[in-house]
Amino acid sequence: MANEPVEKPPERSAIDRPWRMRATAIVVTAVAAGSLIGFVIIPAGQKSGAHLSMGHAMERAAGLEPGSPAVPQPLNTATSTPVSTVSWSPEVLKILASGRSRLGAQIAAQTCAACHGDKGLSPTTGAAPGGPIFPSLAGQSSYAIYKQLHDFQSGARVNPQMSAIAQTLAPADLANVAAYYADASKEYAAIGSRELLGEPDTEKLANEGDSHRRLPACLACHINNSGGPIETPVITGQSEEYLLKQLNDFASGNRKNDVYGRMRDVASKLTPEERTALARYFQGTL
Amino acid sequence: MASVTSTVGATPRLAAATGLQTRRLVMAHIWVAIAAFGVACLLGVWQMWARSPLQAPAHTAANYFRSVTLHGVSMAFVLTTFFIMGFGYYVAETSLKRPLPGIGLAWAAFWMGIVGVLMAALSVISGNASVLFTFYPPLTATPWFYVGLVLVVVASWIWCILMILAMRDWRRANAPRPVPLAMFATTANAVMWLWTTVGVAAELLFQVMPAAFGWSQMVDVGLSRTLFSWTLHAIVYFWLFPSYIAFYTMFPRAAGGRLYSDTMGRLAFVLFLLYSLPVGLHHLFMDPEHSNGFKFLQMFLTALVSVPTLLTVFTITASAEIAGRMRGGKGLFGWIGALPWERPMVLATGLAFVMLFWGGGGGLVNMSYGMNAMIHNTSWVTAHFHLIFGGTVVIMYQAICYSIWPSLTGRNFPNTKPLQVQLWLWFIGMMVMTLPWHWLGLQGQWRRVAAFDYSNPIIHPWGPWVVVSLIGGVILAFSAFLFLFNLAALHRRGIAGAPATIEYARAVHEPDRVPSSLNGFGLWNILVALLMLLAYGWPIAQFFVYPPPQAMVHRLG
Repeated sequence: MANEPVEKPPERSAIDRPWRMRATAIVVTAVAAGSLIGFVIIPAGQKSGAHLSMGHAMERAAGLEPGSPAVPQPLNTATSTPVSTVSWSPEVLKILASGRSRLGAQIAAQTCAACHGDKGLSPTTGAAPGGPIFPSLAGQSSYAIYKQLHDFQSGARVNPQMSAIAQTLAPADLANVAAYYADASKEYAAIGSRELLGEPDTEKLANEGDSHRRLPACLACHINNSGGPIETPVITGQSEEYLLKQLNDFASGNRKNDVYGRMRDVASKLTPEERTALARYFQGTL
Repeated sequence: MASVTSTVGATPRLAAATGLQTRRLVMAHIWVAIAAFGVACLLGVWQMWARSPLQAPAHTAANYFRSVTLHGVSMAFVLTTFFIMGFGYYVAETSLKRPLPGIGLAWAAFWMGIVGVLMAALSVISGNASVLFTFYPPLTATPWFYVGLVLVVVASWIWCILMILAMRDWRRANAPRPVPLAMFATTANAVMWLWTTVGVAAELLFQVMPAAFGWSQMVDVGLSRTLFSWTLHAIVYFWLFPSYIAFYTMFPRAAGGRLYSDTMGRLAFVLFLLYSLPVGLHHLFMDPEHSNGFKFLQMFLTALVSVPTLLTVFTITASAEIAGRMRGGKGLFGWIGALPWERPMVLATGLAFVMLFWGGGGGLVNMSYGMNAMIHNTSWVTAHFHLIFGGTVVIMYQAICYSIWPSLTGRNFPNTKPLQVQLWLWFIGMMVMTLPWHWLGLQGQWRRVAAFDYSNPIIHPWGPWVVVSLIGGVILAFSAFLFLFNLAALHRRGIAGAPATIEYARAVHEPDRVPSSLNGFGLWNILVALLMLLAYGWPIAQFFVYPPPQAMVHRLG
C-alpha cells in the first residue's frame, strides 16, 4: 500500500510521454508537409508560367507580394458613351455633409424656382398633357439631387436646359442646393402623402414586383430610407407626364445615367401599358 | 424489462419527482430548440416555393431574404445552441452521475439566451436585419440583431465553463479513472467552442458592431471575412458533436452490442478539436485577400478533418457488426440485417451515415482548391451543408430526443412506429431536396438569390428540378411536425414508468486508465494554439502590416 503512490507516477508518465511526443510530431509533420507543398513545391511549378524567379514565386505564395505582375493590355481607342461618374466616396459624402440649406436657398430662388417652383414644388405637377413638365424637387434626398446635377454636368444625362444650368454650379453649390431641397420635407409632405390608387396588377408591381420577370418592386427603392441605393429619388407625387417620359426614355435607352443600367433593365421589361399605369399610379390622388 | 413492468403502475408525477436534477433545464432548452426548428422548416418550404416556377404568396426579394435570414438564424444559432446546451447538461448529470455544478447559473444563461433570441428575431421580422446568418460586411443589420446574438453566444460560454467545471470536479473525485467518453466529448466540444467563437467575437466587437451602431463609417472587408472564416468551419463541428456523441455512446447500446474502441472515440473527438479550427480559409478560396500558400496549407489541414470522420465510420461500423453477430447475424453482410432497425437510434445512425456519405463527398469537392472554382456559391454548396447539417446533425438530434425523452418525462413510447416513419420521412425528404441541388449547382445555379427568371432559355430547364426540391421540402416539413407531435404526445400519452436516467454504451475493453492526453485538453490546447498561429497568424497580421483600402458601411435598419 505504501509503495503504490511512489510506483504510480513513473508508470503514468511512461504511458503519457509517447502520446505527447507522437501527437506533437504528427501535428508538426502535417503542418510541415502542407507548408512544403504550399509554399515551395507549388510556387516552383508556377514560377515559369508566371515569369517569376523562385524567390518571388515563394514570396507571392506566402502573401508577401501581390499576384502575377500585370501584363500590358491592348489599348481600346473606341470612345465610350458618358456614364454616371458619381461614386459615394468619403470625400463626396463629406462635401454633401457640408452643404448649407440657407446658402442653397439663394441659388434655388435665382436659378431653380422658375421651373421647379417655390420651395421645389413644381407648378406643372398634374398639368395638362403637352405642357412643359418639370419634376418637383422638394423632399428628394441630397444624394438624389447631387447625383442628377453631377450627371447633367458630366454629360451622363442630357437636357437642353439643365445641362447648361448645371455647368454653372461649383461642387459646393451642388451640396448647398441638395441640402436645401432635402430639408424641404414639409413641402414634400403635400404631394408625398397622396393616396396611391391603381389596378391590382399595378399595385402588385409597385409593392412586390414580378419575380418571374426579375422585376423588383418600385417601392423597394423609391421611398426614403428603403435601404436601396442611396441616390434613388422618391417618386410619389411626381407628375404622370414626367414619370412616363422618364420610363419611356429609360426603356428606349435615351436616358442612361442609371447605375448598372438598373432602370433601363426594369423599364424595358415593362409593357407600354404598364409604364402608363405606373406613372399614373405614382402621381397619386389628392 | 423486468424493472419496466414492475413500475408500470407508478404515477408519472412520482417518476418525475425522483428524476434528474436538470430535468426541467434540459427540457426548457430542447423545447426552445425544437420550436425554432419548426418555424425554420416552414420558412424553408416557402423559400423553395419562391424559387420554383410556381407562384408563391408574398414573394418579394425583401421577404425572401428576411425569410432566409430567419431560417438560417433559427436553424444554425437557436436550434443548435439550445440543443447542445440542453444535451450537455443532460450528459453531465447522467454520465458523471452527480449533480451539475452551478445550476442557477445555467438557468441565468438560459434566460439570457432567450432575451437574445427575441431581440434577434424581432430585428429580422421587422425587416431590419436581412443580412443572412453570416456576418459579411459592409452590409450590416440593426445593432439589436448583433446584441441579441452576442447574448446567445455569452450564454453558450457560460455553458462551456459549466461543462469544464463539471468534468474537472468529477476527475478530482475519481482520479485516476478516465472521464466517461460522453462527458469527455461534451467537454471537448465546449473547449472547441471557446476557441471557435474567438474569431466571430473579434469580428463583431471590433468591426461589425461599431459599424452597425454608426461609430465607424468604413470597414475592412477582407479582415472581417477572415475572422468569420475562423469560426465558420469549427461551428459546424460544434453542431455535429452531439451526433458523434450519440454514435459512440448511444448507438452501440441501442444496437444491443458494445463500442468497439473507447480510445478511438477519444482520438476522434480530440482530432475534431485540433483540425476543425485552422481550416476556415477554405471558405475563401475565391477571395483575393489571401495568398495561394496559406489557402493550400489550410486546404491540406482540411483534408485531415476527414480522418476523425473515417475513424468514426470504421469504429461505429465495427460496433454494429459486434451487435449484429451477437444477435445471430452470419456471413459477410448477414449481421447488417440482424441489427434492430426498428429502434430509432439504430435507424437514425444508419440513415445519418448515408447522408454523411453524400454530404461528405460533396464537401471533399468543396474543399479541393481547383474543384471549388466550379461549384463556388452555387446550389451545390447549399446541398452539401443541408446534407451534413439538416441530414446528419438534425436526424441525430431527433434520435437523441427519442432516446432521452423517456427519462425526462418518466414515460415510454407506446409504439415506435411513428418514430420510425418520422425518421424515414426526414431522410427521404432530405435526399429528394438535396440531390437536385447538387445537379443544378453543377449547372451553375446560384445560391442566395430570391428568384429565377424562368423565361431565360438557360434557366428554364432548371424549373422541374426546383419543383422536385420543393417536394422534398414539403416532406421534410411534414416529418418535422410529426417529430414535434411524437415528443409532445409522450408527455401525455406515454406509458408511465420509464427510468429517470439512461445508460451509455460500454466499450468492449473498458479502460480503467487512459493516457492523460486522452483524459484532458492541456496538450491539445497548446497544439491548437500552435496550429492557429501558423495557419492564421500571417493571414490576419497582413491586414495590420499592409492596411488595405476599406469599404463603406451599408446599414440596414
